[in-house]
Amino acid sequence: MGMDMKMAWRNVWRNPRRTWLTISAIGFACIILIFMLSFQFGSYGTMINSAIQINTGHLQIQAENYFAEKSMRQVVPEPGPVIRSASGIESVQAVTARANAFSLVSSDNRTGGAMIIGVDPESEAQVSTLETLVRRGEFLTEAEPASNPALIGRLMARNLQVGIGDELVVLGQGRDGSVAATALTVCGIYASGMDEFDRSTLHMPLDTFQEVYSMRGAVHEIVVKVSGLNHVAPVKRVLAKRLDQMPGGDSLTVLDWDELMPGLTQAIKLDLTIGVIFWALLVLVVAFSILNTFLMAVFERTREFGVMMAIGTRPGRLVWIMLYESTAMTLVGIGLGIAMGCMVTWIFQHIGIDLSGASEILQQYGISGRIYPQLSIITALAGPALVLIVTFAVSLYPALKIKSLKPVEAMMHV
Amino acid sequence: MDIKIAWRNIWRNPRRTIIIMTAVIIGIWSMIFLTAFMRGMVVDMIENGIATLTGDVKIYASGFRSDPALENRIRNPGPLAEKVQANLPADAHMAARIRVSAIAQNARHSAGVTLVGIDPAEEAGVSFIGDGVATGQMIRPGNPVDIVVGKALLEKFETKIGNKLILMSEDAAHEMASRAFRIRGIFSAELEATEKRFVFVSKSAARGMLQIGADVSEISVMLENHDRADAVAEKIAAAIDTEAYEVRTWKELKPMLKAYINIFDGYIILWYLVVFAAMVFGIINTTLMAVFERMREFGLLKALGMRPWRILRAVLIETAFILLIGAAAGNTLAFSMVYAIGQRGIDLSMFAAGFEYAGMSSVIRPEIFAGDVVLANAVVICLGLVVSAYPAARAARITPVEAMARN
Amino acid sequence: MSIVEIRGVDKTYQQGKVFVQALKNIDLTVEKGSFAAIAGPSGSGKTTLLNIIGGLDVPDRGDVRVDGNAYADMTRSGMAELRLCRIGFVFQAYNLLPVLSAVENVEYVMQLQGVDKKQRRERAVAILDEVGLSGRYHNRPAELSGGQQQRVAVARAIVSDPAIVLADEPTANLDSKTGEGLLQIMEKMNREKAVTFIFSTHDRMVMSYARRLIHIRDGEIENGKPME
Repeated sequence: MGMDMKMAWRNVWRNPRRTWLTISAIGFACIILIFMLSFQFGSYGTMINSAIQINTGHLQIQAENYFAEKSMRQVVPEPGPVIRSASGIESVQAVTARANAFSLVSSDNRTGGAMIIGVDPESEAQVSTLETLVRRGEFLTEAEPASNPALIGRLMARNLQVGIGDELVVLGQGRDGSVAATALTVCGIYASGMDEFDRSTLHMPLDTFQEVYSMRGAVHEIVVKVSGLNHVAPVKRVLAKRLDQMPGGDSLTVLDWDELMPGLTQAIKLDLTIGVIFWALLVLVVAFSILNTFLMAVFERTREFGVMMAIGTRPGRLVWIMLYESTAMTLVGIGLGIAMGCMVTWIFQHIGIDLSGASEILQQYGISGRIYPQLSIITALAGPALVLIVTFAVSLYPALKIKSLKPVEAMMHV
Repeated sequence: MDIKIAWRNIWRNPRRTIIIMTAVIIGIWSMIFLTAFMRGMVVDMIENGIATLTGDVKIYASGFRSDPALENRIRNPGPLAEKVQANLPADAHMAARIRVSAIAQNARHSAGVTLVGIDPAEEAGVSFIGDGVATGQMIRPGNPVDIVVGKALLEKFETKIGNKLILMSEDAAHEMASRAFRIRGIFSAELEATEKRFVFVSKSAARGMLQIGADVSEISVMLENHDRADAVAEKIAAAIDTEAYEVRTWKELKPMLKAYINIFDGYIILWYLVVFAAMVFGIINTTLMAVFERMREFGLLKALGMRPWRILRAVLIETAFILLIGAAAGNTLAFSMVYAIGQRGIDLSMFAAGFEYAGMSSVIRPEIFAGDVVLANAVVICLGLVVSAYPAARAARITPVEAMARN
Repeated sequence: MSIVEIRGVDKTYQQGKVFVQALKNIDLTVEKGSFAAIAGPSGSGKTTLLNIIGGLDVPDRGDVRVDGNAYADMTRSGMAELRLCRIGFVFQAYNLLPVLSAVENVEYVMQLQGVDKKQRRERAVAILDEVGLSGRYHNRPAELSGGQQQRVAVARAIVSDPAIVLADEPTANLDSKTGEGLLQIMEKMNREKAVTFIFSTHDRMVMSYARRLIHIRDGEIENGKPME
């Protein structure tokens, strides 16, 4: 065994130029795969996190059918105990409550529809990035409560032709079907980068909202932030159990970010699937590129194999020697590829990749101008593993060719 | 003669030649087919974007684009429409509409929508609503209560054809106008967002509700070929009063689409180079092998008085054969696959929500662009020849004595 | 006692569209301990006969029995085993593994037999000393002269104490002085270790070393009588 390995290794370096070309091909494929996969995962991470932070949070507790129907009447009637219960779970960082109502919003000159969102300013700031998105004016916490403050998106401000301090009139329908109307003062304007959000949402303090829309203390969503994406599933299980034990808890449900934004995960899966098709084809091209090297390594040594068989080496053993050879080459290539791929990715992970040329598109998906590739065990090894498997499969063909060699014919071979 | 020799030489080792050709074939095929696939997605987005009430060229009153309010409407559009019509190519279609943001409401739900006043006959060939409704009937011109809504909106509002829907909007005098309509038909669009966003009524119903006489909000023009939008827009702009009106093409109206195309073009070049790089290793190695095992032969030819550049050329012709045959097969494969898929498209509805999120439809019809095909083939063949110049030069440099000493 | 017994062997090759009868109805017996030369011009069937004795090639017809084993009854892997333990080979040229040093080439056979590492090295060094290659253990074949390479090949062939060593024109690529040296070593091994040697040649000088000459011409043995 030891000697076979030694022979294989020496054989690898009999033709250094050819070996280096082959190793480079394998290494090249690994570098591209590691970098591109890390890049894809990095952008997914950015997308998911910004969507979660601006919008849905990690988990939400809602009335059973609220997510599907978005009806005013489907509420969490008593948010207090639920919030307390959720806050007590380990790895839950913050909890807040929201209520939503579609209403007509009018300024002096303009009228439009908007989703009015009632938020608790203190806890909202801990759950979402809303506070940090305020570009002009101030967040709800700093505004004078008596002025009935409202926070609106950049595009809504433009469409309604209003600025800080201007008055808006909101007209909608309360939870009980009554007319809900109030006057608000714009205290701040935010820009999230997501046009739809900036065009159609208005935030106001939850207590005012509950008063105006006759909510009688009820809310629509209880939003939970946990300490990381990997904590979402366990916290969700605990939450669901606690809700079951709560009076009236069986009419409530826990949804995670994935359920709240089904399009997002599917868009990611789609992008990943297309990526995998591209990369698999790339690896196939590489495989055929190096197949000739492996074949040559067999054919130019046919005579040698003849001698080895003549002195008693079994063909099966020759197959192994060939496989050791091709695997040695592949492993060197993969090793170098992983090292360089990780290095390149690591560098870009720290400096980021500037995609400002594409910023308009990326904004739509909630990605800011820079993308940071995310190197992980998966992104570092998945690509090289694919290369290893495909290369090994390819090297089987020439290696198995040896089995059919006959010593006499082999030795006649020049 | 050189060509015949080169041809015979590449078939001295058929297995090796076929393997490297296979690498070239898969490479070119993946370049062309995957690009066609992605192009299909982008084209679909553009078509969708243009058909969703954008059009190739649009004419507004100045100020409407930055402030799409009723007061920035086109007043007395008759003469303007005539001028626009006069400057259109024969195969173009044109429609004038009223468009304003509104609130739709029924007993249980309310939502923000865009109210569009149209003449159904005019919209044919201009926007998706011109293709008619999926269920029920199209609004009747001049009818004051007919309304057509999207399927998704209908479901969201838990209502059905024949039911009432109330629309509210500000009229020309800044008064809140409200009017009850009766749902006559349902349209379906590739994107759910479109189905939720637009409701259609007749022009006269919209005018009556909004108190705007015979005015319209915009004139939209659809061409046979989207690439001609710039030229047509220029011609129209020259004919009308550009102080009072703005002329915009889809590229300006949908900067996102334009940005997509730009990113995509860059991505294609990157992908081509990466696939080519994967091939390069094989091309160099195979050519090197083919050259080295024939060094004695090259030495002999040199001894017979052949000039180095002819040897160089001979090796390059061999590589060219491999590249050309590989390219031809790769192209054929890619073209026939695209042809076979044709208009049926590839249905990826398992990712439907993902496509919706990205603003695309989930049936992809691959589309081959001549430019991509030329680029793919040029990259592989030209760069392939460039890299094989190294082994070829090795062959050309050999001296007869060196060659005879090898075995 | 005979070590090689061949009865009625025929062998025909197809070269392109031409059929060449390499061996015609060969009967041959070689006694244990012989130092025999198969002599004949090129194309006479020498190599084919050696290959058939070594089990590298299969006759169309006839029986081959070497060291008590009837080839007709043996499997492919049984043949490999027999070649490994009982038969040694020396070929005309290029028959060492280029990536292994002299001592490793000799060790390789023992490694295939499963001899342990320490013993392997000791025996390989001892046998290289015997063939006169002291101090050349770690040279790769490319660093050895043709004569030295062939001596390594002889060392490899006899290191595992085979019953018989088959050498196909071992001196063909050597000058006459070096060739003579190689034959002297082969003869010494034959005497000291009682290993049977059968080698093929068309060289008069080489034939003169043989204690038995088997003349072959056009695939037929002309004279199979021992000279001893």
